[in-house]
Amino acid sequence: MDYFDRFAIPHPSPAIYASMVAIGLTGIAIIAGLTYFKKWGYLWREWLTTVDHKRIGIMYLISALLMLFRGGVDAIMMRAQTAVPDNKLLDAQHYNEVFTTHGIVMIIFMAMPFIYALMNFVVPLQIGARDVAFPRLNALSFWLFFMGAMLFNISFVIGGSPDAGWTSYFPLAGNDFSKSVGTNYYMLALQIAGLGTLLSGINFITTILKMRAPGITLMKMPIFTWSALTANAIVVFAFPVLTVALLMGTMDRLFGTYFFTTSNGGMDMLWANLFWVWGHPEVYILVLPAFGVYSEIISTFARRNLYGYKSMVASMVIISFLSFLVWTHHFFTMGQGALTNSIFSITTMAIAIPTGIKIFNWLFTLWRGKIVFTVPMLYSVGFIPIFTIGGVTGVMLGMSAADYQYHNTMFLVAHFHYTIIPGVVFAMIAGLTYWWPKMFGFMLNERIGKWAFWFIAISFNVTFFPMFFTGLNGQARRMYTYSESTGFGPLNLLSFIGALGLAVGFALLVYNIYYSTRYASRNISSDPWDARTLEWATHNPVPAYNFAITPQAESIEAFWDSKMKGHKLFPGEYKKIHMPNNSGVPFIMSCFFFAWGFSFVFGMWIPLIITTIGILACMVHRSFTQDHGHYISVKEIEKKEKELRGA
Amino acid sequence: MKELFPLKQVMGFTFSIIFTLIALAVYFINMSFSLGMTVLLVTAFLQAGLQLVVFMHAGETEDKGAIYTNIYYALVIALVTVFGTLLCMIWGYV
Amino acid sequence: MKLENSLPLEYKTHQNQLNILGFWIFLGAEIMLFGTLFASYFTLVDRTGTGPTGVEIFEITPVLIETFVLLTSSFVIGLGIHAMRLGKKTAMMTFFAVTLLLGLVFLGFEIFEFVHYVHIGAGLQTSAFTAILLTTLGTHGAHVTFGLFWGLCILMQIKKRGLTTETANKAFIFSLYWHFLDVVWIFIFSFVYLKGMM
Repeated sequence: MDYFDRFAIPHPSPAIYASMVAIGLTGIAIIAGLTYFKKWGYLWREWLTTVDHKRIGIMYLISALLMLFRGGVDAIMMRAQTAVPDNKLLDAQHYNEVFTTHGIVMIIFMAMPFIYALMNFVVPLQIGARDVAFPRLNALSFWLFFMGAMLFNISFVIGGSPDAGWTSYFPLAGNDFSKSVGTNYYMLALQIAGLGTLLSGINFITTILKMRAPGITLMKMPIFTWSALTANAIVVFAFPVLTVALLMGTMDRLFGTYFFTTSNGGMDMLWANLFWVWGHPEVYILVLPAFGVYSEIISTFARRNLYGYKSMVASMVIISFLSFLVWTHHFFTMGQGALTNSIFSITTMAIAIPTGIKIFNWLFTLWRGKIVFTVPMLYSVGFIPIFTIGGVTGVMLGMSAADYQYHNTMFLVAHFHYTIIPGVVFAMIAGLTYWWPKMFGFMLNERIGKWAFWFIAISFNVTFFPMFFTGLNGQARRMYTYSESTGFGPLNLLSFIGALGLAVGFALLVYNIYYSTRYASRNISSDPWDARTLEWATHNPVPAYNFAITPQAESIEAFWDSKMKGHKLFPGEYKKIHMPNNSGVPFIMSCFFFAWGFSFVFGMWIPLIITTIGILACMVHRSFTQDHGHYISVKEIEKKEKELRGA
Repeated sequence: MKELFPLKQVMGFTFSIIFTLIALAVYFINMSFSLGMTVLLVTAFLQAGLQLVVFMHAGETEDKGAIYTNIYYALVIALVTVFGTLLCMIWGYV
Repeated sequence: MKLENSLPLEYKTHQNQLNILGFWIFLGAEIMLFGTLFASYFTLVDRTGTGPTGVEIFEITPVLIETFVLLTSSFVIGLGIHAMRLGKKTAMMTFFAVTLLLGLVFLGFEIFEFVHYVHIGAGLQTSAFTAILLTTLGTHGAHVTFGLFWGLCILMQIKKRGLTTETANKAFIFSLYWHFLDVVWIFIFSFVYLKGMM
């Protein structure tokens, strides 16, 4: 029985026990359901072994939405605990676990898969390609992310959650101060998911550089594709840094090394340094595709082309480079001298310039446009003023001398939520709503969507604006409670009320998905928004091969121009189409990775060796595989096209 | 590209050895830290560049723009990371 | 399948070109991986705690042997790709096999070096310096080890299937990997060992 003690939760509570039961029951329900409805074969053939970028995009999307729920529940718990002084809802240990989980889930397991969902579904369609450069690798990327997420998510019921913050600073995250396996989960889940992301980075860059349809030069690509290119360029160079940092952290915790310790030469600051060398580019990885989404939506619903395409492209390229030069602003107070801090202050303020250019370009696009306030447009227009608040407070924080006042107060928490939520989350909801009809063949309900928007937009400000003030008044970050005499009570209560509003807004979002799935008409046009870019030139639903004939594009808004000027987008005859085969190896290899990660977390060395061999075996199998895909004959294409056109 | 004798490879190998021997000088000859570091930096980057162009055929195809951009970008950011880290952790530390 | 007949075998199909470009991008990521290890190395190099310094444990002879073995292996695989482009399958396979053998020799010396370090009190758990030293050298060595197995798989495929667009593509990509490892070693040789012994 001693052996099994290590899997126990160090700090249980009724909520955790309830979750264990819920997870168990849900797992049983899923297995029972699949068996009863005889859907195992379907699941394996259509989803677990798919290499289709559209299916993979949808799987990323479902995962992101589920993780949004988990991260959101964490948020409500935090706001509830801090709503009144001396609250007893969560004790300090639980509060630490909750804010740690909230941060990791929202950034790594919600926002990242969300952007990859949109990039996966949309980018190949926008460039007229049939899939990404490496479809099997794409599937592997998804399953590695999924297994990383699963590994992280079981931490709170087996062994204990990480509790050292999403930044997991040493020496707190070391063995002396974090004795449970929670931080091991952190190190390994992020490592596995990070590997998936790195592979995606390579995949998308190759795809965008080499698989564009004829006529689509780099400067004629849709702006969302440009944002995907720049974001994935950051991924390729930022994620290896995280790989090394996590490796060193794992070694400190499991192999007794002295990288980040406070003795024998260890340097705990080095963790913070390496983490943020990755961490800052990471937030630009999140925001650039979001900016790309906004550019597409604003242009579509202002009924005019994007203002300043060239400067939009240039600004994203510059941002992607500058994002690597600012990381020290996350630890201005760690002891560097004034010269070092000033250098990074300057680079931090510099990065606001290309971002500002983008904001002005969006405004100029709106200026002469004929604006239609659909739900995606509401989010995009709402984003501009709200994000600007985040941006200007960012410049305040970027002044290193001033940052000594703001650092790690609620002011900082408010700043980054004011950039990430309007910046990334609004864009994801907008992008989801915008591309939903292309993904699923029906529209999300506009009325419910608008209610959700207003609840979210207003409640967001009610939740986070007070934090600027409590932060300036001295409320520190990550405080599980405070006494009444501090006076933080009323504004924190206001934040809690805002959080409840946010919960309502997100619940409306979920309800919208349910309601629309049930009641929305499936009889919609393949171009319901009267849009401008190539992904809308496909049928609903998009066939597996995307385009029957590879499009010939002549301008940035090829589809719009073909509608307005009658130019032929799909010249030529049907030819047989080469498509990749499904493969079970990505899923199986990822299952090995899950078991590998789990074994590593608990220091179970024999299972670790066995699972490592399993992973390597999958790689050898892949090396020797001769899989040349299959061809879709002209007859099949004709049949499919007729069927889709008639519908 | 179709000659029988691998002239490029032999030249590349010869120069690699020469650069390595020059770098060795810092071990065998007593010199100042800055001179030593300069020797090492120059020989290391020259050898790396040699491998890249001669052995790895980086400039051979239509993708050479993408390939060189990728390598320069990686190099610049790696250098920023190295020197930025040293600045924050050691040199600029108060 | 459209073949670009003016290009060498490894570039002939579109997928071949995608694979090669994709791998170059992966090498960009690896530059950052090793760059981070170097950044950490230079930060922790003087933090020797109670353990030995570099000067106390580095020995020039095994390092020189490792360097020349790896440099030669890089040359040999270059010869192998050259032979591949001339369509000479047997020559190519021989050169590849020699490359892998030299890689094995390199690893042998490195393992011996590690065992030696542990014996003289410079193990993984001795100090921050030894941790980062062994991790940097070890990461490079692990890459070489992985390469040995990967190269073997490719050799077996060429033996069984001959020189096709696919096997040529794989062999070329492997050579990129191998050259890259040599480049990394040049930096290790210069800035870990030589700098440490200046």
